[in-house]
Amino acid sequence: MIRAIFAATACVLAIGSAQAQPAAQAPARLAASEKPWVSPRTPDGHPDLQGFWSNASITPLQRPPELGSKEFYTAEEAAAVDKKEFTERTSWDRLGNQARVHYDMSQFGLDVIQAKVALSRRTSLIIGPEGRIPPVTPEAQKRLADRAAARRGHEFDSAQDRPIQERCIVWAAEGPPMMSSGYNSNLQIVQGPGYVSVMEEMIHDARMIPTDGRPHLPSGIRQYLGDSRGHWEGDTLVVDTTNFTEKTSFMGSTSSLHVLERFTRIDNDTILYEFTVDDPATWTKPWTAQMPLSKIEGPIFEYACHEGNLGLPNTLSGARAAEEAKAAK
Amino acid sequence: MASFAGMFWLAASLAAQPAYRAPRMPDGHADLNGIWQVLNTANWDLEPHGPGPGPLFQLGAQGAVPPGLGVVEGDHIPYLPEAAAKKKENFAHRLELDPEVRCYLPGVPRATYMPYPFQVVQSEKYLLFAYQYAGATRNINMTSAKKAPIDSWMGWSNGRWDGDTLVIDVTGLNDETWFDRAGDFHSDALHVVERYTPRSPETMQYEATIEDPKTFSRPWKISMLLYRVQDTNAQLLEFKCVEFVEELMYGHLRKKESKAGTKEAK
Repeated sequence: MIRAIFAATACVLAIGSAQAQPAAQAPARLAASEKPWVSPRTPDGHPDLQGFWSNASITPLQRPPELGSKEFYTAEEAAAVDKKEFTERTSWDRLGNQARVHYDMSQFGLDVIQAKVALSRRTSLIIGPEGRIPPVTPEAQKRLADRAAARRGHEFDSAQDRPIQERCIVWAAEGPPMMSSGYNSNLQIVQGPGYVSVMEEMIHDARMIPTDGRPHLPSGIRQYLGDSRGHWEGDTLVVDTTNFTEKTSFMGSTSSLHVLERFTRIDNDTILYEFTVDDPATWTKPWTAQMPLSKIEGPIFEYACHEGNLGLPNTLSGARAAEEAKAAK
Repeated sequence: MASFAGMFWLAASLAAQPAYRAPRMPDGHADLNGIWQVLNTANWDLEPHGPGPGPLFQLGAQGAVPPGLGVVEGDHIPYLPEAAAKKKENFAHRLELDPEVRCYLPGVPRATYMPYPFQVVQSEKYLLFAYQYAGATRNINMTSAKKAPIDSWMGWSNGRWDGDTLVIDVTGLNDETWFDRAGDFHSDALHVVERYTPRSPETMQYEATIEDPKTFSRPWKISMLLYRVQDTNAQLLEFKCVEFVEELMYGHLRKKESKAGTKEAK
Protein backbone atom coordinates (compact mmCIF):
# COMPACT_ATOMS: atom_id res chain seq x y z
CA MET A 1 0.00 0.00 0.00
CA ILE A 2 1.19 3.45 -0.80
CA ARG A 3 0.25 6.33 1.32
CA ALA A 4 0.59 10.04 0.90
CA ILE A 5 3.33 11.50 2.98
CA PHE A 6 2.93 14.98 4.27
CA ALA A 7 5.29 17.29 6.03
CA ALA A 8 5.57 16.14 9.59
CA THR A 9 4.78 19.56 10.94
CA ALA A 10 1.16 20.43 11.40
CA CYS A 11 0.21 22.84 8.69
CA VAL A 12 -2.81 24.66 9.85
CA LEU A 13 -5.07 26.90 7.87
CA ALA A 14 -7.30 29.02 10.01
CA ILE A 15 -10.34 30.21 8.20
CA GLY A 16 -11.71 31.60 11.41
CA SER A 17 -15.07 33.22 11.22
CA ALA A 18 -15.50 32.28 7.57
CA GLN A 19 -17.48 29.29 8.71
CA ALA A 20 -19.94 31.44 10.58
CA GLN A 21 -21.02 33.01 7.31
CA PRO A 22 -23.50 31.57 4.85
CA ALA A 23 -21.68 30.01 1.92
CA ALA A 24 -22.63 32.74 -0.52
CA GLN A 25 -21.03 35.53 1.52
CA ALA A 26 -17.42 36.52 1.36
CA PRO A 27 -15.38 35.19 4.26
CA ALA A 28 -15.08 37.74 7.02
CA ARG A 29 -11.32 37.41 7.28
CA LEU A 30 -11.06 38.88 3.82
CA ALA A 31 -12.95 41.99 4.87
CA ALA A 32 -9.68 43.72 5.66
CA SER A 33 -8.36 43.11 2.18
CA GLU A 34 -8.87 45.90 -0.36
CA LYS A 35 -10.74 44.05 -3.08
CA PRO A 36 -13.04 41.05 -2.69
CA TRP A 37 -11.73 37.69 -3.79
CA VAL A 38 -12.95 36.68 -7.24
CA SER A 39 -13.13 33.00 -8.10
CA PRO A 40 -10.99 31.92 -11.03
CA ARG A 41 -13.06 30.53 -13.90
CA THR A 42 -12.69 27.64 -16.29
CA PRO A 43 -12.94 28.52 -20.02
CA ASP A 44 -16.66 27.69 -19.98
CA GLY A 45 -17.25 30.38 -17.34
CA HIS A 46 -17.84 28.22 -14.27
CA PRO A 47 -15.91 28.65 -11.02
CA ASP A 48 -12.66 26.76 -11.11
CA LEU A 49 -12.69 24.15 -8.34
CA GLN A 50 -9.74 22.26 -9.73
CA GLY A 51 -6.76 21.12 -7.80
CA PHE A 52 -5.85 19.00 -4.82
CA TRP A 53 -7.79 19.39 -1.61
CA SER A 54 -7.75 17.97 1.90
CA ASN A 55 -10.88 17.38 3.92
CA ALA A 56 -8.96 16.43 7.06
CA SER A 57 -10.89 17.72 10.03
CA ILE A 58 -10.74 17.84 13.80
CA THR A 59 -14.35 18.97 14.13
CA PRO A 60 -16.67 16.18 15.27
CA LEU A 61 -19.59 15.26 13.01
CA GLN A 62 -22.06 15.55 15.88
CA ARG A 63 -22.05 18.28 18.51
CA PRO A 64 -21.00 17.19 21.98
CA PRO A 65 -24.29 17.07 23.95
CA GLU A 66 -23.00 19.43 26.65
CA LEU A 67 -22.79 22.24 24.07
CA GLY A 68 -26.55 22.19 23.50
CA SER A 69 -27.55 24.52 20.69
CA LYS A 70 -24.22 26.35 20.59
CA GLU A 71 -23.31 26.16 16.90
CA PHE A 72 -20.09 28.21 16.96
CA TYR A 73 -17.24 28.67 19.38
CA THR A 74 -15.98 32.16 20.05
CA ALA A 75 -12.54 32.82 18.61
CA GLU A 76 -10.96 32.27 22.04
CA GLU A 77 -12.83 29.04 22.64
CA ALA A 78 -11.96 27.78 19.15
CA ALA A 79 -8.28 28.51 19.73
CA ALA A 80 -8.37 26.57 22.99
CA VAL A 81 -10.14 23.59 21.39
CA ASP A 82 -7.70 23.54 18.48
CA LYS A 83 -4.73 23.76 20.81
CA LYS A 84 -6.01 20.84 22.84
CA GLU A 85 -6.61 18.81 19.70
CA PHE A 86 -3.17 19.47 18.31
CA THR A 87 -1.12 19.18 21.47
CA GLU A 88 -2.90 17.17 24.15
CA ARG A 89 -4.79 14.49 22.26
CA THR A 90 -2.89 11.69 20.60
CA SER A 91 -3.85 9.96 17.41
CA TRP A 92 -4.82 7.00 19.59
CA ASP A 93 -7.43 9.12 21.33
CA ARG A 94 -8.82 10.07 17.94
CA LEU A 95 -8.87 6.57 16.53
CA GLY A 96 -10.54 5.13 19.57
CA ASN A 97 -10.70 1.38 19.44
CA GLN A 98 -7.78 0.48 17.17
CA ALA A 99 -5.11 -1.52 18.90
CA ARG A 100 -1.79 0.24 19.30
CA VAL A 101 0.10 -2.67 17.81
CA HIS A 102 -1.28 -1.86 14.37
CA TYR A 103 0.54 1.28 13.42
CA ASP A 104 2.99 3.85 14.59
CA MET A 105 0.67 6.75 13.91
CA SER A 106 3.45 9.29 13.78
CA GLN A 107 4.78 7.65 10.61
CA PHE A 108 3.65 8.12 7.03
CA GLY A 109 1.41 11.08 7.78
CA LEU A 110 -1.19 8.84 9.38
CA ASP A 111 -2.02 11.32 12.11
CA VAL A 112 -4.53 13.99 11.18
CA ILE A 113 -2.36 16.73 12.69
CA GLN A 114 0.28 15.90 10.08
CA ALA A 115 -2.20 16.81 7.36
CA LYS A 116 -3.39 20.23 6.34
CA VAL A 117 -6.48 20.81 8.41
CA ALA A 118 -8.94 23.56 7.66
CA LEU A 119 -10.06 24.81 11.02
CA SER A 120 -13.58 25.94 11.67
CA ARG A 121 -15.32 27.65 14.57
CA ARG A 122 -18.16 25.18 14.20
CA THR A 123 -18.75 22.98 17.22
CA SER A 124 -19.91 20.17 14.89
CA LEU A 125 -19.92 19.51 11.16
CA ILE A 126 -23.69 19.09 11.33
CA ILE A 127 -25.22 22.55 11.12
CA GLY A 128 -28.27 23.97 12.84
CA PRO A 129 -29.38 24.26 16.46
CA GLU A 130 -29.37 20.50 17.06
CA GLY A 131 -26.03 19.66 15.52
CA ARG A 132 -26.74 15.96 15.68
CA ILE A 133 -28.02 13.20 13.39
CA PRO A 134 -31.81 13.22 13.78
CA PRO A 135 -33.47 10.21 15.44
CA VAL A 136 -33.95 7.14 13.27
CA THR A 137 -37.46 6.04 12.37
CA PRO A 138 -39.02 3.06 14.23
CA GLU A 139 -38.72 1.09 10.97
CA ALA A 140 -35.00 1.83 10.80
CA GLN A 141 -34.55 1.04 14.48
CA LYS A 142 -35.97 -2.41 13.88
CA ARG A 143 -33.97 -2.93 10.70
CA LEU A 144 -30.69 -1.95 12.37
CA ALA A 145 -31.44 -4.07 15.43
CA ASP A 146 -32.30 -7.10 13.26
CA ARG A 147 -29.15 -6.62 11.25
CA ALA A 148 -27.00 -6.36 14.37
CA ALA A 149 -28.66 -9.46 15.85
CA ALA A 150 -28.10 -11.48 12.67
CA ARG A 151 -24.47 -10.42 12.65
CA ARG A 152 -23.80 -11.18 16.31
CA GLY A 153 -21.54 -14.19 16.64
CA HIS A 154 -20.88 -14.25 12.89
CA GLU A 155 -18.66 -11.19 12.58
CA PHE A 156 -15.64 -13.25 11.54
CA ASP A 157 -17.32 -16.11 9.66
CA SER A 158 -16.29 -15.05 6.16
CA ALA A 159 -14.92 -12.16 4.12
CA GLN A 160 -18.49 -11.20 3.27
CA ASP A 161 -19.24 -10.76 6.97
CA ARG A 162 -16.57 -8.07 7.34
CA PRO A 163 -17.23 -4.34 6.79
CA ILE A 164 -16.90 -3.15 3.18
CA GLN A 165 -13.96 -0.89 4.06
CA GLU A 166 -11.98 -3.80 5.49
CA ARG A 167 -12.74 -5.68 2.26
CA CYS A 168 -11.33 -2.77 0.23
CA ILE A 169 -14.57 -2.34 -1.70
CA VAL A 170 -15.32 1.22 -0.60
CA TRP A 171 -13.60 3.34 2.01
CA ALA A 172 -16.28 4.27 4.54
CA ALA A 173 -15.47 7.99 4.36
CA GLU A 174 -15.48 7.94 0.56
CA GLY A 175 -19.13 8.79 0.26
CA PRO A 176 -20.88 10.58 -1.15
CA PRO A 177 -21.19 12.34 1.17
CA MET A 178 -17.43 12.68 1.46
CA MET A 179 -16.20 12.63 5.03
CA SER A 180 -12.80 13.12 6.48
CA SER A 181 -10.88 9.85 6.39
CA GLY A 182 -8.69 8.67 9.28
CA TYR A 183 -5.69 9.49 7.12
CA ASN A 184 -5.02 10.44 3.48
CA SER A 185 -8.06 12.71 3.42
CA ASN A 186 -7.05 13.93 0.00
CA LEU A 187 -8.94 14.48 -3.20
CA GLN A 188 -8.47 15.94 -6.64
CA ILE A 189 -11.05 17.82 -8.69
CA VAL A 190 -10.72 18.05 -12.48
CA GLN A 191 -13.27 19.88 -14.67
CA GLY A 192 -13.57 18.77 -18.28
CA PRO A 193 -16.22 19.95 -20.73
CA GLY A 194 -19.56 18.68 -19.39
CA TYR A 195 -17.94 16.78 -16.52
CA VAL A 196 -16.62 17.36 -13.06
CA SER A 197 -14.47 14.56 -11.73
CA VAL A 198 -13.73 14.05 -8.06
CA MET A 199 -11.01 11.53 -7.31
CA GLU A 200 -10.42 10.51 -3.73
CA GLU A 201 -7.14 8.99 -2.65
CA MET A 202 -9.10 6.53 -0.47
CA ILE A 203 -9.49 4.26 -2.40
CA HIS A 204 -8.74 5.42 -5.94
CA ASP A 205 -12.28 5.94 -7.16
CA ALA A 206 -12.95 8.74 -9.59
CA ARG A 207 -16.49 10.04 -9.42
CA MET A 208 -17.44 11.17 -12.91
CA ILE A 209 -20.17 13.77 -12.53
CA PRO A 210 -21.89 14.81 -15.78
CA THR A 211 -23.19 18.40 -15.77
CA ASP A 212 -25.13 18.12 -19.04
CA GLY A 213 -28.55 17.67 -17.45
CA ARG A 214 -28.95 13.99 -18.30
CA PRO A 215 -31.28 11.86 -16.14
CA HIS A 216 -30.09 9.48 -13.42
CA LEU A 217 -29.32 5.85 -14.27
CA PRO A 218 -32.28 3.48 -14.51
CA SER A 219 -33.33 2.48 -10.99
CA GLY A 220 -32.22 -1.12 -11.57
CA ILE A 221 -28.56 -0.07 -11.62
CA ARG A 222 -27.33 0.42 -8.06
CA GLN A 223 -23.78 1.49 -7.25
CA TYR A 224 -21.74 1.65 -4.05
CA LEU A 225 -20.94 5.30 -4.77
CA GLY A 226 -24.39 5.96 -6.21
CA ASP A 227 -24.99 7.85 -9.44
CA SER A 228 -24.09 11.55 -9.42
CA ARG A 229 -25.46 14.38 -11.57
CA GLY A 230 -24.18 17.93 -11.28
CA HIS A 231 -25.40 21.38 -12.14
CA TRP A 232 -24.32 24.93 -11.36
CA GLU A 233 -26.35 27.23 -9.16
CA GLY A 234 -24.59 30.55 -9.48
CA ASP A 235 -21.05 29.90 -8.29
CA THR A 236 -21.95 26.66 -6.54
CA LEU A 237 -21.61 23.18 -7.99
CA VAL A 238 -24.59 21.13 -6.83
CA VAL A 239 -24.32 17.34 -7.08
CA ASP A 240 -27.34 15.10 -6.73
CA THR A 241 -26.67 11.42 -6.00
CA THR A 242 -29.11 8.49 -5.96
CA ASN A 243 -29.05 4.80 -7.02
CA PHE A 244 -27.09 3.59 -4.00
CA THR A 245 -26.82 -0.09 -3.12
CA GLU A 246 -28.34 -1.53 0.03
CA LYS A 247 -24.78 -2.35 1.11
CA THR A 248 -23.48 1.22 0.90
CA SER A 249 -25.28 2.08 4.15
CA PHE A 250 -24.12 5.57 5.10
CA MET A 251 -24.69 5.69 8.89
CA GLY A 252 -27.41 3.06 8.64
CA SER A 253 -29.10 4.36 5.47
CA THR A 254 -30.85 2.22 2.86
CA SER A 255 -30.61 2.23 -0.93
CA SER A 256 -33.16 5.07 -0.96
CA LEU A 257 -30.46 7.43 0.35
CA HIS A 258 -30.42 10.76 -1.48
CA VAL A 259 -27.34 12.97 -1.17
CA LEU A 260 -27.13 16.59 -2.25
CA GLU A 261 -23.66 18.12 -2.17
CA ARG A 262 -22.70 21.76 -2.66
CA PHE A 263 -19.17 22.86 -3.58
CA THR A 264 -18.46 26.60 -3.30
CA ARG A 265 -14.99 28.05 -3.61
CA ILE A 266 -14.82 30.81 -1.02
CA ASP A 267 -11.19 31.81 -1.45
CA ASN A 268 -8.02 30.66 -3.12
CA ASP A 269 -7.31 28.04 -0.48
CA THR A 270 -10.80 26.92 0.47
CA ILE A 271 -13.85 25.17 -0.93
CA LEU A 272 -16.84 25.13 1.35
CA TYR A 273 -18.32 21.64 1.07
CA GLU A 274 -21.85 21.09 2.30
CA PHE A 275 -24.01 18.00 2.10
CA THR A 276 -27.60 17.18 2.90
CA VAL A 277 -28.60 13.55 3.29
CA ASP A 278 -32.15 12.32 3.19
CA ASP A 279 -33.49 8.80 3.60
CA PRO A 280 -37.10 8.62 4.81
CA ALA A 281 -36.54 4.92 5.52
CA THR A 282 -33.85 5.83 8.05
CA TRP A 283 -34.09 9.33 9.54
CA THR A 284 -37.07 11.33 10.73
CA LYS A 285 -35.80 14.32 8.72
CA PRO A 286 -32.94 15.28 6.37
CA TRP A 287 -29.74 16.61 7.92
CA THR A 288 -26.96 18.86 6.70
CA ALA A 289 -23.26 19.15 7.45
CA GLN A 290 -20.65 21.60 6.29
CA MET A 291 -16.88 21.44 6.16
CA PRO A 292 -14.07 23.35 4.51
CA LEU A 293 -11.74 21.66 2.03
CA SER A 294 -8.29 23.19 2.10
CA LYS A 295 -5.92 23.39 -0.79
CA ILE A 296 -2.90 21.10 -0.77
CA GLU A 297 -0.06 20.80 -3.19
CA GLY A 298 -0.68 17.25 -4.36
CA PRO A 299 -0.29 14.94 -6.10
CA ILE A 300 -2.30 12.15 -4.57
CA PHE A 301 -0.89 8.66 -4.69
CA GLU A 302 -2.16 5.21 -5.50
CA TYR A 303 -3.86 3.49 -2.60
CA ALA A 304 -3.84 -0.12 -3.80
CA CYS A 305 -6.06 -1.34 -0.97
CA HIS A 306 -7.25 -4.73 -2.24
CA GLU A 307 -3.86 -5.58 -3.74
CA GLY A 308 -2.18 -5.15 -0.35
CA ASN A 309 -5.01 -6.46 1.79
CA LEU A 310 -3.33 -8.85 4.18
CA GLY A 311 -5.54 -7.69 7.02
CA LEU A 312 -8.63 -9.48 5.76
CA PRO A 313 -7.14 -12.99 5.31
CA ASN A 314 -5.18 -12.58 8.55
CA THR A 315 -8.34 -11.64 10.42
CA LEU A 316 -10.17 -14.68 9.08
CA SER A 317 -7.33 -17.14 9.62
CA GLY A 318 -6.90 -15.73 13.12
CA ALA A 319 -10.57 -16.42 13.82
CA ARG A 320 -10.24 -19.97 12.46
CA ALA A 321 -7.14 -20.58 14.58
CA ALA A 322 -8.97 -19.30 17.68
CA GLU A 323 -11.87 -21.68 16.95
CA GLU A 324 -9.51 -24.63 16.54
CA ALA A 325 -7.73 -23.78 19.78
CA LYS A 326 -11.07 -23.56 21.56
CA ALA A 327 -12.23 -26.89 20.12
CA ALA A 328 -8.98 -28.59 21.16
CA LYS A 329 -9.50 -27.64 24.82
CA MET B 1 -1.07 16.24 -66.85
CA ALA B 2 0.81 16.49 -63.58
CA SER B 3 4.51 15.95 -63.81
CA PHE B 4 6.14 13.09 -61.95
CA ALA B 5 7.91 15.65 -59.75
CA GLY B 6 4.60 17.37 -59.03
CA MET B 7 2.96 14.12 -58.02
CA PHE B 8 5.91 13.33 -55.81
CA TRP B 9 5.62 16.74 -54.14
CA LEU B 10 1.90 16.22 -53.57
CA ALA B 11 2.43 12.79 -52.03
CA ALA B 12 5.24 14.06 -49.82
CA SER B 13 3.22 17.00 -48.55
CA LEU B 14 0.23 14.76 -47.83
CA ALA B 15 2.45 12.45 -45.83
CA ALA B 16 3.90 15.37 -43.87
CA GLN B 17 0.50 16.86 -43.03
CA PRO B 18 -1.52 15.27 -40.29
CA ALA B 19 -4.52 13.73 -42.03
CA TYR B 20 -6.90 14.93 -39.36
CA ARG B 21 -7.01 18.03 -37.21
CA ALA B 22 -8.65 17.31 -33.86
CA PRO B 23 -11.05 19.70 -32.12
CA ARG B 24 -9.16 22.09 -29.84
CA MET B 25 -9.32 22.84 -26.16
CA PRO B 26 -9.33 26.58 -25.34
CA ASP B 27 -5.59 26.28 -24.66
CA GLY B 28 -5.00 25.07 -28.22
CA HIS B 29 -4.23 21.43 -27.43
CA ALA B 30 -6.15 18.59 -29.04
CA ASP B 31 -9.30 17.70 -27.10
CA LEU B 32 -9.17 14.05 -26.02
CA ASN B 33 -12.12 14.25 -23.62
CA GLY B 34 -14.52 11.36 -23.87
CA ILE B 35 -15.17 7.72 -23.15
CA TRP B 36 -13.01 5.33 -25.16
CA GLN B 37 -12.69 1.60 -25.66
CA VAL B 38 -10.89 -0.84 -27.94
CA LEU B 39 -12.62 -3.28 -30.28
CA ASN B 40 -9.97 -5.97 -30.28
CA THR B 41 -8.83 -9.06 -28.39
CA ALA B 42 -5.50 -7.70 -27.11
CA ASN B 43 -6.50 -8.45 -23.52
CA TRP B 44 -6.67 -12.16 -24.41
CA ASP B 45 -3.36 -12.17 -26.27
CA LEU B 46 -1.26 -9.34 -27.69
CA GLU B 47 0.15 -11.60 -30.40
CA PRO B 48 -1.87 -12.89 -33.37
CA HIS B 49 -3.95 -15.84 -32.20
CA GLY B 50 -6.66 -18.20 -33.35
CA PRO B 51 -9.65 -19.13 -31.20
CA GLY B 52 -9.00 -21.39 -28.25
CA PRO B 53 -10.53 -22.90 -25.16
CA GLY B 54 -10.50 -20.93 -21.94
CA PRO B 55 -8.89 -22.26 -18.75
CA LEU B 56 -12.28 -23.36 -17.35
CA PHE B 57 -14.18 -25.80 -19.56
CA GLN B 58 -17.36 -25.21 -17.52
CA LEU B 59 -17.71 -21.75 -19.04
CA GLY B 60 -18.03 -23.21 -22.54
CA ALA B 61 -18.15 -20.69 -25.36
CA GLN B 62 -18.48 -17.84 -22.84
CA GLY B 63 -15.03 -18.56 -21.51
CA ALA B 64 -13.35 -19.32 -24.85
CA VAL B 65 -10.62 -17.14 -26.34
CA PRO B 66 -11.85 -15.03 -29.28
CA PRO B 67 -9.43 -14.94 -32.24
CA GLY B 68 -7.53 -11.77 -33.06
CA LEU B 69 -5.08 -10.31 -35.55
CA GLY B 70 -2.74 -9.20 -32.77
CA VAL B 71 -1.45 -5.74 -31.93
CA VAL B 72 2.32 -6.31 -31.74
CA GLU B 73 4.39 -4.67 -34.45
CA GLY B 74 6.18 -7.59 -36.16
CA ASP B 75 3.75 -10.01 -34.47
CA HIS B 76 6.13 -11.44 -31.87
CA ILE B 77 7.21 -10.19 -28.45
CA PRO B 78 11.03 -10.36 -28.28
CA TYR B 79 11.45 -12.26 -25.00
CA LEU B 80 14.85 -13.14 -23.62
CA PRO B 81 15.15 -16.98 -23.49
CA GLU B 82 14.45 -17.31 -19.75
CA ALA B 83 11.54 -14.90 -19.96
CA ALA B 84 10.05 -16.86 -22.87
CA ALA B 85 10.01 -19.94 -20.65
CA LYS B 86 8.33 -17.98 -17.87
CA LYS B 87 5.67 -16.69 -20.27
CA LYS B 88 4.87 -20.31 -21.20
CA GLU B 89 4.66 -21.21 -17.54
CA ASN B 90 2.40 -18.21 -16.89
CA PHE B 91 0.09 -19.33 -19.68
CA ALA B 92 -0.14 -22.86 -18.29
CA HIS B 93 -1.12 -21.47 -14.88
CA ARG B 94 -3.04 -18.42 -16.04
CA LEU B 95 -6.10 -19.22 -13.97
CA GLU B 96 -4.05 -19.03 -10.77
CA LEU B 97 -1.59 -16.33 -11.83
CA ASP B 98 -3.29 -13.73 -14.03
CA PRO B 99 -3.76 -10.66 -11.81
CA GLU B 100 -7.03 -9.89 -13.64
CA VAL B 101 -8.54 -13.04 -12.11
CA ARG B 102 -8.00 -11.45 -8.69
CA CYS B 103 -9.30 -8.02 -9.64
CA TYR B 104 -5.90 -6.43 -9.17
CA LEU B 105 -5.14 -3.05 -10.74
CA PRO B 106 -4.27 -3.69 -14.39
CA GLY B 107 -1.15 -1.55 -14.89
CA VAL B 108 -0.17 0.18 -18.12
CA PRO B 109 -0.67 -0.51 -21.00
CA ARG B 110 -3.14 -3.32 -20.15
CA ALA B 111 -5.69 -0.88 -18.66
CA THR B 112 -6.12 0.65 -22.13
CA TYR B 113 -7.23 -2.48 -23.97
CA MET B 114 -9.20 -4.38 -21.38
CA PRO B 115 -12.77 -4.99 -22.54
CA TYR B 116 -14.09 -2.07 -20.48
CA PRO B 117 -14.43 1.63 -21.30
CA PHE B 118 -12.23 4.35 -19.85
CA GLN B 119 -12.73 8.07 -19.66
CA VAL B 120 -10.37 10.96 -20.26
CA VAL B 121 -11.09 14.17 -18.36
CA GLN B 122 -8.88 16.89 -19.76
CA SER B 123 -8.68 20.50 -18.69
CA GLU B 124 -6.05 23.16 -19.21
CA LYS B 125 -4.46 22.20 -15.91
CA TYR B 126 -5.04 18.50 -15.41
CA LEU B 127 -5.45 15.23 -17.22
CA LEU B 128 -7.17 12.31 -15.57
CA PHE B 129 -7.73 8.79 -16.89
CA ALA B 130 -10.43 6.74 -15.16
CA TYR B 131 -10.95 3.09 -16.06
CA GLN B 132 -14.15 1.18 -15.45
CA TYR B 133 -12.25 -2.01 -14.60
CA ALA B 134 -11.58 -2.05 -10.83
CA GLY B 135 -12.02 1.74 -10.62
CA ALA B 136 -8.40 2.19 -11.70
CA THR B 137 -7.24 5.79 -12.15
CA ARG B 138 -4.23 7.64 -13.50
CA ASN B 139 -3.34 11.23 -12.91
CA ILE B 140 -1.15 12.42 -15.80
CA ASN B 141 1.44 14.94 -14.66
CA MET B 142 1.50 17.57 -17.45
CA THR B 143 3.77 20.10 -15.76
CA SER B 144 7.48 19.43 -15.48
CA ALA B 145 8.39 15.76 -15.73
CA LYS B 146 9.03 14.24 -12.33
CA LYS B 147 10.72 11.03 -11.32
CA ALA B 148 8.42 8.29 -10.06
CA PRO B 149 8.52 8.62 -6.25
CA ILE B 150 7.78 4.92 -5.73
CA ASP B 151 6.64 1.87 -7.70
CA SER B 152 2.90 1.33 -7.99
CA TRP B 153 0.38 -0.75 -9.95
CA MET B 154 -0.64 2.03 -12.34
CA GLY B 155 2.80 3.64 -12.44
CA TRP B 156 3.84 7.25 -12.63
CA SER B 157 2.75 9.12 -15.75
CA ASN B 158 4.51 12.20 -17.15
CA GLY B 159 2.65 13.65 -20.13
CA ARG B 160 3.54 16.08 -22.92
CA TRP B 161 2.16 17.12 -26.28
CA ASP B 162 3.84 16.28 -29.58
CA GLY B 163 1.59 18.21 -31.98
CA ASP B 164 -1.83 16.63 -31.62
CA THR B 165 -0.35 13.54 -30.00
CA LEU B 166 -0.47 13.09 -26.25
CA VAL B 167 2.73 11.32 -25.23
CA ILE B 168 2.80 9.72 -21.80
CA ASP B 169 6.01 8.38 -20.35
CA VAL B 170 5.24 5.77 -17.70
CA THR B 171 7.74 4.52 -15.16
CA GLY B 172 7.52 3.31 -11.55
CA LEU B 173 5.47 0.27 -12.59
CA ASN B 174 5.75 -2.73 -10.28
CA ASP B 175 6.33 -6.28 -11.52
CA GLU B 176 2.92 -7.61 -10.44
CA THR B 177 0.87 -6.81 -13.54
CA TRP B 178 0.62 -8.70 -16.83
CA PHE B 179 0.02 -7.54 -20.40
CA ASP B 180 -2.77 -10.03 -21.21
CA ARG B 181 -4.47 -13.30 -20.30
CA ALA B 182 -1.88 -15.27 -22.31
CA GLY B 183 0.76 -14.79 -19.61
CA ASP B 184 2.71 -11.98 -21.28
CA PHE B 185 4.56 -10.24 -18.47
CA HIS B 186 7.34 -7.82 -17.53
CA SER B 187 9.69 -6.93 -14.68
CA ASP B 188 9.86 -3.82 -12.51
CA ALA B 189 12.26 -2.35 -15.08
CA LEU B 190 9.30 -1.74 -17.38
CA HIS B 191 9.20 1.61 -19.17
CA VAL B 192 6.19 2.39 -21.36
CA VAL B 193 5.83 5.32 -23.72
CA GLU B 194 2.24 5.77 -24.87
CA ARG B 195 1.05 7.87 -27.79
CA TYR B 196 -2.59 8.93 -28.20
CA THR B 197 -3.26 10.51 -31.61
CA PRO B 198 -6.74 11.65 -32.70
CA ARG B 199 -7.41 10.37 -36.22
CA SER B 200 -11.15 11.09 -36.66
CA PRO B 201 -13.92 12.45 -34.42
CA GLU B 202 -14.62 8.87 -33.35
CA THR B 203 -11.19 7.23 -33.21
CA MET B 204 -7.73 7.64 -31.70
CA GLN B 205 -4.56 5.81 -32.64
CA TYR B 206 -2.95 4.23 -29.59
CA GLU B 207 0.66 3.15 -29.57
CA ALA B 208 2.81 1.95 -26.72
CA THR B 209 6.54 1.30 -26.86
CA ILE B 210 7.57 -1.23 -24.27
CA GLU B 211 11.07 -1.41 -22.92
CA ASP B 212 12.28 -3.80 -20.21
CA PRO B 213 15.86 -5.03 -20.60
CA LYS B 214 15.36 -7.66 -17.87
CA THR B 215 12.63 -9.34 -19.95
CA PHE B 216 12.97 -8.38 -23.62
CA SER B 217 15.90 -8.36 -26.02
CA ARG B 218 14.83 -5.00 -27.51
CA PRO B 219 12.03 -2.44 -27.17
CA TRP B 220 8.82 -3.41 -28.97
CA LYS B 221 5.62 -1.71 -29.92
CA ILE B 222 1.89 -2.33 -29.83
CA SER B 223 -0.57 -0.35 -31.90
CA MET B 224 -4.37 -0.30 -32.03
CA LEU B 225 -7.40 1.94 -32.39
CA LEU B 226 -9.47 3.41 -29.58
CA TYR B 227 -13.13 4.06 -30.37
CA ARG B 228 -15.26 6.78 -28.84
CA VAL B 229 -18.22 5.32 -26.95
CA GLN B 230 -21.17 7.23 -28.37
CA ASP B 231 -24.24 5.53 -26.96
CA THR B 232 -26.85 7.92 -25.56
CA ASN B 233 -25.95 8.88 -21.99
CA ALA B 234 -22.91 6.61 -22.04
CA GLN B 235 -21.05 6.78 -18.72
CA LEU B 236 -18.56 4.72 -16.80
CA LEU B 237 -20.42 2.35 -14.54
CA GLU B 238 -19.10 0.97 -11.31
CA PHE B 239 -17.21 -2.30 -11.71
CA LYS B 240 -15.87 -2.99 -8.24
CA CYS B 241 -14.76 -6.53 -8.91
CA VAL B 242 -13.19 -7.08 -5.47
CA GLU B 243 -16.54 -8.37 -4.32
CA PHE B 244 -16.56 -11.01 -7.06
CA VAL B 245 -13.19 -12.50 -6.16
CA GLU B 246 -13.60 -12.81 -2.40
CA GLU B 247 -14.87 -16.39 -2.50
CA LEU B 248 -11.96 -17.32 -4.77
CA MET B 249 -9.36 -15.61 -2.58
CA TYR B 250 -10.76 -16.03 0.93
CA GLY B 251 -13.35 -18.82 0.62
CA HIS B 252 -10.91 -21.32 2.16
CA LEU B 253 -10.88 -19.18 5.31
CA ARG B 254 -14.67 -19.32 5.72
CA LYS B 255 -15.97 -20.78 8.95
CA LYS B 256 -17.20 -24.32 8.41
CA GLU B 257 -20.97 -24.98 8.85
CA SER B 258 -21.64 -21.36 9.76
CA LYS B 259 -25.18 -20.11 9.34
CA ALA B 260 -24.21 -16.90 7.60
CA GLY B 261 -21.61 -18.79 5.62
CA THR B 262 -23.99 -21.36 4.18
CA LYS B 263 -26.25 -18.58 3.00
CA GLU B 264 -23.43 -16.67 1.37
CA ALA B 265 -21.87 -19.69 -0.30
CA LYS B 266 -24.93 -20.37 -2.46
